Amino acid sequence: MERHLQEQTAAESADSGGTGRAGGLPHVAGAQEARSDDRMTLLLRLRAQTKQQLLEYKSMVDAYEEKTPEQIIQENQIEAKVEDLENEIEEVKIALEMKNLALARMQLSTALKKNLEKNDTMNSVLMDNMKHILKLNKLVMKSQQESWELEEKLLDVRKKRLQLKQASERKLLEIQTEKNKQKEDLDNVENSDKIKAMQKNLQKEIQITTVIQHVFQNLILGSKANWAEDSALKETVLQLEKNLTMI
Amino acid sequence: MSVLRPLDKLPGLNTATVLLVGSEDALLQQLADSMLKEDCASELRVHLAKALPLPSNVNRPRIDLIVFVINLHSKYRPEKQGLCCLHCEVCPPLVCFLALAWPPSLQHVEESLHHVDASFFLGRVCFLGTGAGQEHHCSLHRNTVLKLAHTYRSPLFFCDLEVEDFQATMAQRLVRMLLICAGHVRGVSALNLLSLLRTSETPPPEEL
Repeated sequence: MERHLQEQTAAESADSGGTGRAGGLPHVAGAQEARSDDRMTLLLRLRAQTKQQLLEYKSMVDAYEEKTPEQIIQENQIEAKVEDLENEIEEVKIALEMKNLALARMQLSTALKKNLEKNDTMNSVLMDNMKHILKLNKLVMKSQQESWELEEKLLDVRKKRLQLKQASERKLLEIQTEKNKQKEDLDNVENSDKIKAMQKNLQKEIQITTVIQHVFQNLILGSKANWAEDSALKETVLQLEKNLTMI
Repeated sequence: MSVLRPLDKLPGLNTATVLLVGSEDALLQQLADSMLKEDCASELRVHLAKALPLPSNVNRPRIDLIVFVINLHSKYRPEKQGLCCLHCEVCPPLVCFLALAWPPSLQHVEESLHHVDASFFLGRVCFLGTGAGQEHHCSLHRNTVLKLAHTYRSPLFFCDLEVEDFQATMAQRLVRMLLICAGHVRGVSALNLLSLLRTSETPPPEEL
C-alpha cells in the first residue's frame, strides 16, 4: 500500500564527488575554490534551514503549552472560533508588516541623514531632487486646497437649491390647504341648518305677504271703487301679476 | 502509528518529504516523477499511498506535506460494492447503499483524513482535484471538493494531471509548497503560507 521513490541528489554533493582529484594545475585550483564556495553556500543554506526549522519547533512547543479547552463546542461555534483565530493571524501579520515598513522608513531616513552629513551640503543631485520634491508637494497642496474650496462652493449652492425647493414645496402646500379650507367652508355654509331655517322663514313671509296682497286687492275690487283712476290703487291691484318671489 | 503527526521526528538534513495520497496509482506516479524532475537545491523524497493509515513497521522520515489527490472523474464501482455485500450479509442493505453514495476517490480521502492529526492542517495539508477540465466526465461536483477543503481550512488546487504542461506547473507549485513546509525557506512558515493562500470567504456563485 505504500511505496517510496528515491530522491534527486543535490548538485553540490555531485560536484564534490566529481572533483576529488588533487593536482597543481590552475584549473583544478580554480575548481577547488569553486568547490569551497559551493561548500560555503551549502553551509549557509543549511544554517538558514536549521534556523527556520528550529523556529518552527519552538513555536509548536509554545502552542502546545497553551491549554486547549476540552469541552465539546457546538458546530457553529467552532466555525466562529476558527474564523476569529484566522482573523487574529491576519491582524498579527498586518501589524508585523506595518512595523517592518516603519523600521525600513527609519533606516532609510538615518541613512539619508548620514549621507547628507558625509557629503557636501551643496551636493547637487540630492538637493535638486529634494527641492523638486518640495516644489511638487507645494503645488499638490495648493491644487488640493483649491479643489476643496470649489467643492465647498458647489456644496453651498446645492444646499441653497435644496432649501429653495423645500420652501416652494411648503408654499404650495399652504396654498393647497387654503383652497381646501375655502371649499369646505363654502360647503358648510350651504349645508348649514341656520340657512335652511332662514330659507323656510323667508318662504313663510313671502306666502303671508302674498295672502295680504290678495286680501287688499279683493278689498279694493269688492269696494266697487274706480281703481283705474287712482295710481296707488292701480298699482296695488296690478301687483297680482308680479311674482313675489322675484322681488 | 495510526495517526500522522507533523514535526514528530527530527528533520533530515536538507531533505523534504511529501506524501501523496490518492486512489489512482498512475496519476500519483506521474505527479511524483514530475516533482522529482524539478530543479531544486534540497533533496526531495516522495511517498505514495492509496489510503492512510500507513503501516507502522517502515522507518520513514518525517512527513512535511500531505497532498490528497481527488479524481473528479472517478466512477462508482458497483461490482466491488457487490463483493462487499456478499462478504457481510449480516449488514443491512442501507450500509451498502451509503457506501455507494460517494465515488471511491473521495471516500478514500475522507477515510484517510481521520488518520491525520489536527495540527497537520495548519498549512501542511493540501487538496488537489484533478480532471475538472472535462465537465461531462465529472461524477463529482466541484462544490463538494470545495466544501471539503473549506471544512479543513486547507488550500485546494484544481489541475488536469493528464495534461503534461499542467502537470509540470502543478509539480512546480507543490515543490515550492513542500520547501516552505519543510522549513527550507527563510522567513516563510507553513502557517504563513496558509494564510496567504486563503481565498475569500464568500461562497462560489451557483452555476446556472
